[in-house]
Amino acid sequence: MTEIEAPRLSGRRFRPGDLSLQTVAGAAALAASALVVLIAYTIVRDSKPAWSAYGLGFVTRAVWDPVKHVYGAGSFLFGTVVTSLAALAIATPLAIAIALFLTELAPRWLRGPVTALVETLAAIPSVVIGLWGILVLGPVLRDHVEPALHSALGFMPLFGPPSTTGSSMFTAIVVLTIMILPIVSSISRELFLGVPRDLKEGALALGTTRWEMVRGVVFPYARGGIAAAMILGLGRAVGEAIAVTQVIGSTVSVSANLFSTGDTLASKIAASYQGAEDKAQVSSLVYLGLILLVFSLVMNVSAQLIVRRVVRRQGTSTRAGVA
Amino acid sequence: MSRIIAVIAATAFMATSCALAAAAPARQSGTTLTGAGSTFVAPLVSQWGPAIGQAYGYELQYSPIGSGGGVAAVTNRTVDFGASDAPLSNDQFTACKGCVQIPWALSATSVIYNVQGVKNLLHMNGPTLAKIFNGEITTWNDPAIKKLNKGVALPDLKIAIVHRSDNSGTTFNFTDYLASVSPQWKSKVGTGVAVNWPTGTGARGSSGVAATVAQTPGGIGYVDVAYALSSHITYFAMQNRSGKFATPGLKGILAAASSDQKPDATTNALSIVNPPKKYPLAYPIATYTYVIVPTQSAKAPELRKFLFWAVTKGQKFGPKLLFQPIPKPVLVVAEKAITKIHA
Repeated sequence: MTEIEAPRLSGRRFRPGDLSLQTVAGAAALAASALVVLIAYTIVRDSKPAWSAYGLGFVTRAVWDPVKHVYGAGSFLFGTVVTSLAALAIATPLAIAIALFLTELAPRWLRGPVTALVETLAAIPSVVIGLWGILVLGPVLRDHVEPALHSALGFMPLFGPPSTTGSSMFTAIVVLTIMILPIVSSISRELFLGVPRDLKEGALALGTTRWEMVRGVVFPYARGGIAAAMILGLGRAVGEAIAVTQVIGSTVSVSANLFSTGDTLASKIAASYQGAEDKAQVSSLVYLGLILLVFSLVMNVSAQLIVRRVVRRQGTSTRAGVA
Repeated sequence: MSRIIAVIAATAFMATSCALAAAAPARQSGTTLTGAGSTFVAPLVSQWGPAIGQAYGYELQYSPIGSGGGVAAVTNRTVDFGASDAPLSNDQFTACKGCVQIPWALSATSVIYNVQGVKNLLHMNGPTLAKIFNGEITTWNDPAIKKLNKGVALPDLKIAIVHRSDNSGTTFNFTDYLASVSPQWKSKVGTGVAVNWPTGTGARGSSGVAATVAQTPGGIGYVDVAYALSSHITYFAMQNRSGKFATPGLKGILAAASSDQKPDATTNALSIVNPPKKYPLAYPIATYTYVIVPTQSAKAPELRKFLFWAVTKGQKFGPKLLFQPIPKPVLVVAEKAITKIHA
């Protein structure tokens, strides 16, 4: 990226347009950065009573007892990691398949409507998806999917006895998958559309099959971009509060069984902040927010490092759109 | 079918929650009184809105954000009054700096269940209920439940416990009851608007608990009785200390309220769960719900008028929503407390 040097204001002519553009744009950028700092400051300040009282042990301790005033983030951190990574692992291959279908395989007349429908999925408010999760998805998973998985793969602790109410980590994972699917698929679709036609046609002309062309040309070209799309999806999954709170069953527990209930950081904050009684609990909840913030930050930075490495390895011959 | 009812009820509940603020008629001359808190008392307050508008021309704006939220709001003086089903703790009382707590409505919590093929009003008692919520009793045909329901064919079905995941006055009332009937519950779990549940699944709001119980065969949960009634969910007849089984109806609530008519001298709090033997009609999980007002308020005359009206004429709106009008001795204390509000 090359930068164009801004014209000097003290130059030959005074340009009010440039000055106001610079002021407005600069102020917007400054305000956004200041906001991040302000939010971080508030969270650190308000969680101070909790981290000075409970220390770092809070992060791993799996307990939340508002009556005895003992708090810890362990089970919520566990739930956040498990649900978001599992949702990403399921959503990514599906999203790439959808994107490939829409760009390479589907008949032309079908592409427009299907694209629009997939993107509509992203526009459904999370609270509505959560409601559907309670009333429809949860019972279906409990009555059909979970027993099937349990009987086929029950030897793994991951697929233990099915849930009783339909609220479980598994339901939360499926809900999150549905929520991040359109994000990853629509970005992947844009990336695949951006693959130069001559490269694809060249590959086909050399006698490759469609799959070889996808694997040899489309994927390498879009690799960095797909990684970026996954980061966005993961960010959504980690931060989603309402839909998760509706279907995860909100309990303080660490269990290998995906069909048991659990909770996530964001969901716990959403469920308990309003009307939290004592100060220790309020600042513990803000401490959960701090952990969530640090967790997202670490994940974002490491993901960006991965993207950068992937792009560098690709060399300069391709120009995948990576932010 | 029950699921559809639960959906409709959930939708209606959300709609009324949103509509409450808008429901009060706009009177040009009137003062606006703002309040926030308990969802439990919200149906009653929403009836009061238009009536107080007609009586005094006041506009009543009430946000049912939950009891804890109401306490926080009045402590920060962002509202004129807060409403809470759980009486203020000592810490909260100090934090509120010169607040007065007034019992202003009286109702009960129902224990709901979903067992197919079994009639309404299964029998239940406190110790058994505590064992269920402790995770000691896990199936519906457990001898303890069978013993209470002779002649009923109880299925070999797992009990699925559903509790509130958000902070709730209903949870306070329910755990207050469990702690009073089970020493083990009292020492291990305790009483609060949110507790460390030994087992079960959390759901958000009365609507969440009702919906989850409705679609879970073998489900058990608790919601305020007005909610259970309006959404046609089956609930238990609870055994009281006299050995009789009582339903969460007006009679049962009134009998429970007769057991304690002396509010605490400083906090005006009353606990009427698990009343003594001599109240054979009492429903054992009844509760007062409170309004919390700063004693010094810029709107003191209007607040006084509104609260007097609420604890007297306002009580007439109660019965059809299963709020029992507050008994005379409590009313006297409430009126005395109201006079403390000054400018």
